[in-house]
This record gives sequence, structure tokens and C-alpha cells, in this order.
Amino acid sequence: MNKRLMLSLAFAAGIGSMIGFFNPVPAQARIKLATLPDREAVVVRFDNPNVVMVEEERTISLQKGVNNVDFSWAGTQIDKGSIVFRPADAAAKVEILSTSYPPGEAALTWQISAAEAMSVKFRLSYLMANIQRETDYRMLVSKDEQTCSFKHYFKIRNWSGGRFATADFVTRDGKKFEKGLENGEAKRVLVNTWDKVKLTKEYVYDITRNGEGKVMTDYVLKNAKEIGLGAIPLEYGKVRIYQDDGNGTTAFTGEDWGRFTPIGDDMRLNIGIAQDIKIEMKKMVNDVQNRRGNVYDTDEVDEYEIKNFKDTDAVVTLVLRVDGEWEMKADTSGHESFERIDNETIKFKVKAPAKGTPVKLKFHYQKKNVW
Amino acid sequence: MRLTLAILALLVAVPLAAKEELVTLPGRDSVQLTIYNSEDLTLVRERRTLSFKQGSNRLQFSWANTLIDPTSVELQPVGDTAKAAIEIADTSYPAESHEMLIWTVSCKTAGAHVVEISYFTSGISWQAEYTGVVNANEDSMTLTAYVTVTNRSGEEYENAQVRLVVGTINLVEKIVNLATPRPQSQPRPSREDQRGARDMDRMAEKGGPGMGGGGGMVKPKEIIKGGLSEYYIYTVEGQETIPDQWSKRLRSFEVAGVPLKTVYRLEPAKFGPAFTKVLEFKNDEEHKLGKEPLPDGLIRLYKDQGMGRLGYMGALASKYIPKKDEVKINVGPDAECTLAIKRLSIKKKDLGFRNNWLIGWTTVEQFELEVKNFRGRAVEVEIHRTMAGDFDFESPDKFELHDAATRKVAFRLDANSARKLSYTVTTRLGENARK
Repeated sequence: MNKRLMLSLAFAAGIGSMIGFFNPVPAQARIKLATLPDREAVVVRFDNPNVVMVEEERTISLQKGVNNVDFSWAGTQIDKGSIVFRPADAAAKVEILSTSYPPGEAALTWQISAAEAMSVKFRLSYLMANIQRETDYRMLVSKDEQTCSFKHYFKIRNWSGGRFATADFVTRDGKKFEKGLENGEAKRVLVNTWDKVKLTKEYVYDITRNGEGKVMTDYVLKNAKEIGLGAIPLEYGKVRIYQDDGNGTTAFTGEDWGRFTPIGDDMRLNIGIAQDIKIEMKKMVNDVQNRRGNVYDTDEVDEYEIKNFKDTDAVVTLVLRVDGEWEMKADTSGHESFERIDNETIKFKVKAPAKGTPVKLKFHYQKKNVW
Repeated sequence: MRLTLAILALLVAVPLAAKEELVTLPGRDSVQLTIYNSEDLTLVRERRTLSFKQGSNRLQFSWANTLIDPTSVELQPVGDTAKAAIEIADTSYPAESHEMLIWTVSCKTAGAHVVEISYFTSGISWQAEYTGVVNANEDSMTLTAYVTVTNRSGEEYENAQVRLVVGTINLVEKIVNLATPRPQSQPRPSREDQRGARDMDRMAEKGGPGMGGGGGMVKPKEIIKGGLSEYYIYTVEGQETIPDQWSKRLRSFEVAGVPLKTVYRLEPAKFGPAFTKVLEFKNDEEHKLGKEPLPDGLIRLYKDQGMGRLGYMGALASKYIPKKDEVKINVGPDAECTLAIKRLSIKKKDLGFRNNWLIGWTTVEQFELEVKNFRGRAVEVEIHRTMAGDFDFESPDKFELHDAATRKVAFRLDANSARKLSYTVTTRLGENARK
């Protein structure tokens, strides 16, 4: 005896009677079933950054011999080549003989051989389109800007055409939560909270980031255990930053995109412009030296005047760039420290005293062999 | 079925349309499909038992609405008796139809004889596909290979023996173009949905081995592989029916415990400009494979998430992999193992002038590579650097010569660690260049 079974996605639920194969119904609505086993243990996984995998279990009553089981997914977008179908128990005495795909239909038929009549739990995995995911964070910074609480949210939007009465949603870092999700519905779930995370505040001057030469305020979080993070790589997502105002309420102080941050790496978040710190740049020397035919060297001094109108001292980071072959001269002054990041980039840290007392960074360098 | 074979009753020298009529319509006794994957080509061999009368017989063969190449259709007697009795006198292609021919067959002994009709058709194809389930440590996988046969030929071949040819053959003309008058681009008539439903039911009725028998366990069909000249032939055990417009996927083999190596590579010539994760194995006995070449096809990789659950890693198109050859699957960049390349400095020296004009110089560039492994386990790394022109390469790290322009370095990086490498490239430019 052949047995024909029909698996379909949730829109078939509730239709319990036989529907003939010859009913002149359009493909969108074609539902064929003898027995419709319910979906069990549905898992929606986000391991891959671009695609969503759905895994479900179905218990199918098989008869001894060869059984035909239909699976159709009209109205949803399943990548049919991605379908992996196997018994949940690898030792089950069943064999999947073949998979047949009818023309013009979102459907297939498995031919399953069973050693005896039995109920077998099968696991079915497939990639499903139009389930969107989004990560976002909320950061509540302490009044003194030394620590923060860092909350990690995961949002799913289901445009797939299918519905999930209940499913385990598993994020890329293995966090699991159980929810129901209708078609068209979105849900946002708090998946992680880290409290008392130490943060570093930096004032940064970098004209490649702000062309007007304004000083930016950055928070830097190291995704590491020693500052209270470091449990999982942080996914790309928007970070909304609030600060405790000391009166029992909070104020929104800015937002930025947090890039994907592996464990051990830094997440740098710009919260806005530090309007109380002003930097003015002047070129004080710009001479040609050592001319040989069409080749020459230059002698250049760039002067940066930094004024900090805050009530407290601040350390300002200046990220400066010079192209080609160059070297810094020894009389460069006004900085606490510097680091040549690469050939083109140098980073100075300058201490700016409070209340607007100006401080000058003198950057003296020689470009060599210019033509 | 759109193919018809008819014996024409009246043997008169008058125009075909006027006088002839069909007297028998013999079905196929057996059919064999040899499907090529490098070209849109299938060789069909079918056998039919026909009743011949003594003297001249006319056989009409027509193939309306199929994709058969008329120039390839042949008729052969099968077996000594038939060969002794039958001779093909001529083949005529009537002017009024491009989808028909008539064989004139002279028969010495009246009776039933077996003939083989062979022809090329386009529209039937096969494709290999692979599913790899990688274990949690990424050092082993279960590899399952499938073949999917798709029939868009316009003809249903029932209970056919199916052979699949792996290899690249040479064709001077496309079969689909020879299957005139249908232009290649003409869309095929679409079917009504309920027709699809009927087909599905029909498929089930026809089924395969063990169908309707209520017998014991049926194993998946074995796909027997054998070499032939430059090609490989996969023969599907038993018979298959693939209705027109249907596809059918069969398992070719499944091997568990294939040893797997993960290497993070910067090798732009092969894997593009990004530092990328590459899973590697060999199609050989040591890796429990190597029984046959692996035809080109999509490889989908899943990671075992424990308890038999899967997570999707990625998919990529694999090229034909000969026996013993290595397979490198680029699964894309991994943010948990990164490479940063910095040029720390550039200096120019040995400037040469002629008539006060620069004609030659040499640059000395220092580079730093930093590989960071944020993963909780050690990883293998291989980095290739390609330079241009007349250059010298120096490094305190163990770079090796890969080719004239490329140096490479390979090492193992412990869990949650980083390593910096440095090298200096001195390039002679202008008239300083010696080559």
C-alpha cells in the first residue's frame, strides 16, 4: 500500500478533511492531505549573516514499504535546493529514496521506505526568505561617564508568508528565545544585559571623520571580560545612548552604528560633537628644500591651537595624515604622546587645560623626494 | 507522450497526406537515457518490437513538440534474426513536416522483430549537488552527494534506464538548435495547476521499487560509477520515470567522517581580495572518498549544532574535482579571525638623474601584517603577498617563494591570540629596474 502524506506550512492548519487531487484550485491554495502532522519543535536560526534557516520536526506515520510524502510551501519562499530532510533519530529504520519536484509548484514529494509500519519523527531544515533580523543596543551611561549598562536587543520581522505559532529563535551567538510570530509581525527581544561596563570617553579631531574639523565625542567599549563585556561577538547594529542625569531620569545623548566587534576588539561610538573644545589649524612653515632637478624635499610646520572651554581638563586625540615619504622632526611639541599608526597616519594625544586656556601642538615634518 | 511510431499501411507512390493511414502504434519495450551535463544533450535509445510484412515496409516516426535533433534519429535492427531479416532501404524527411521521418524497411521474413531507435534530444539535464554537515570542531564532515535529473524535453520517458555522463564533450552545433523548427527561446506551454497535481499523483502511482508491494525495507538506489575514456558514467540502478517538466533527486553517495581542515587564507589569485575561511579536504581514500571524480555542483554546508540539529554555514559552486585532487571551499570572511595590513613606511633612495630630470629611483616599503584569532581554538593561516616589478623581499618571518611575484607564509595561531609579521619590499623603478 502506498501512503500519501502531505506536509504544508501553517496556512494549511485547521483543514482536516480530504481534499482531492483533481480539485480545480489554483496552486496558491492547493492543499493535499491525508494526514497533516503538526509542526513540532520549530527552530529559526540566524547563524549565517545573510540567510535564515528554519528547522522543524514532524512525526509521520509510515506504512511498511514505500510511502510518498508531499511537502508544499505555496505562499512562502523556501529555497527548495536547501531542504534537508532526515529522521531525527539517525538509527530509525527508514530510507529516503528520492525527491521529486513537480513543474511550476512550490512542492516536492519524498519517497520514503520503511522497514515496518511506524511513526517516525523527521527533521526538516530549509532556508526561508523574508525573515529579517536586526540587532540594536541601548547604552545607559552613568553620570560620571565611567561605566554603562549595555543592553542587546534582537528584532525579527516575518514577511515570509508563514507563521510560527511557537518557535525557538536562535541568534548567531547561540542565544535562544521562544516566541510566536505571525506573518507580517515583528518582535524585539532583549537577549543580553551587561551592567557596570567600563567605558572610555575620547575627544577626537580627525578631518576624515568630520570635514569641518570639529571635535567628536566617542565612547570606546572594549569587547573584553575585563571591562564587563567579552561574552559574545557584538553584531553590527544601532546603539542608542542615554545618560543618567543624576535626578533619577535619563537623557538621550546620541546614537551611532556599532560595527561588528569580535571578542577582544573595540567598538567605537560617536555620540556627537564636543562643542566646548575648539581646534584651529594653521600652516606656519611650507618651504621647498634640497632641490635636485625635478625632485625636492619640503619643510612643513602645522600648528594646532586647542581650546577646552570645559570646567575640567580634557585629553584630545588628533588623528593627522601626511602622504608619501615623510618623517617627523624632533622639535614637534605640545603633545603628551604620539603613535604613528601607519605610513600615512599619526595620532597625537594633547592635554587641554580647562576654561579655555589655549594649548598648541606643533607638528614639524619633512616630506622627502617629492616630484 | 508526443513521440509516435506508426507503420504505414498502404505502400503506394502517392503523396503521404492523401493515402496513408496508421495501422499499428507499438509502444517502447525499453528505453535508456544517457544524459550529459556539459552540454544540453541526451542520447535516447529505445527498443520496440514491430511487426513487419515481407517486402517493403514504411515506418513513420514523428516527434512533434519535443526537442529531438532530426539529424540524429537512427533505426537499427536488434539481434541476429532481425539483422538477417531487416534492411533499412532509405530514410525520407517529408517536406510538409519538420518533425517527422519515414523509414523504408525491406523485410525478408515476415514477423515481429526488435528494433532500436536512437536519437539526441535536448531538454533533459542532470546536476550534481552536495550537502556537507560539518561537526562542531570543523575537523570532520558527512558529505552526501545527490544527482538531480530534470526533464524539460517535452517527452515522458517511462521506466527508463538512466545513465549520467560526467565530463566535457565537444559539440559543433547545439542540439536545441538542430531540433527545428522550435526556436530555443520559445517558451514552453505552461501546465494547469491541476495537471501538476495529477502528475504528482501519477508519479506516486508509478513510484519506483517496492511500490504497491507492501514489501520490506527498500534501500535507496545505488548509483554505479564507471570510467569511459575521458568521461565517467553514473548508472542509476533500476529504472526511473521522470515526467515532462519534473525533476527528481537521487542520492549518489553518503560518506561520514571525511577529515576536514580549516585554513584562513589571503590568496587573492584563488579566493579574492578578502582574508577568508577555507574548508579543505581531498577526494582520496585517506578522506574516505576518491572512488570517483566529483562533478561540478553546488555544495551546501551545514554545521552540526548538536542533537542532530543543523545551522547553515553557506553554499558555493564547486568545479569538477578529479580523483585525488584537493577541494577548497571558500565559506567567506569570518569576523572572528581577521587580518590587518599596514604600510608602516615608504622611503625612496638611489635617485638617478639625466639632464636634471629624474630617471630612476628605488622605494623601500615596510609592511606589517597582524592576524587576530578571536576564536576559542587554534587556526591555520596562509597569507600570500604579490608584488610587481623588480623587487627584493625581506622578512624575519618564514615567507616562502610561491611564484616569481608572490611570497607566502603559513602558520598556526593559538586560540584568542594575535601575531604580527613584517616584511620589507625594495622596488627598483625607472632606469633602476634591472628587469
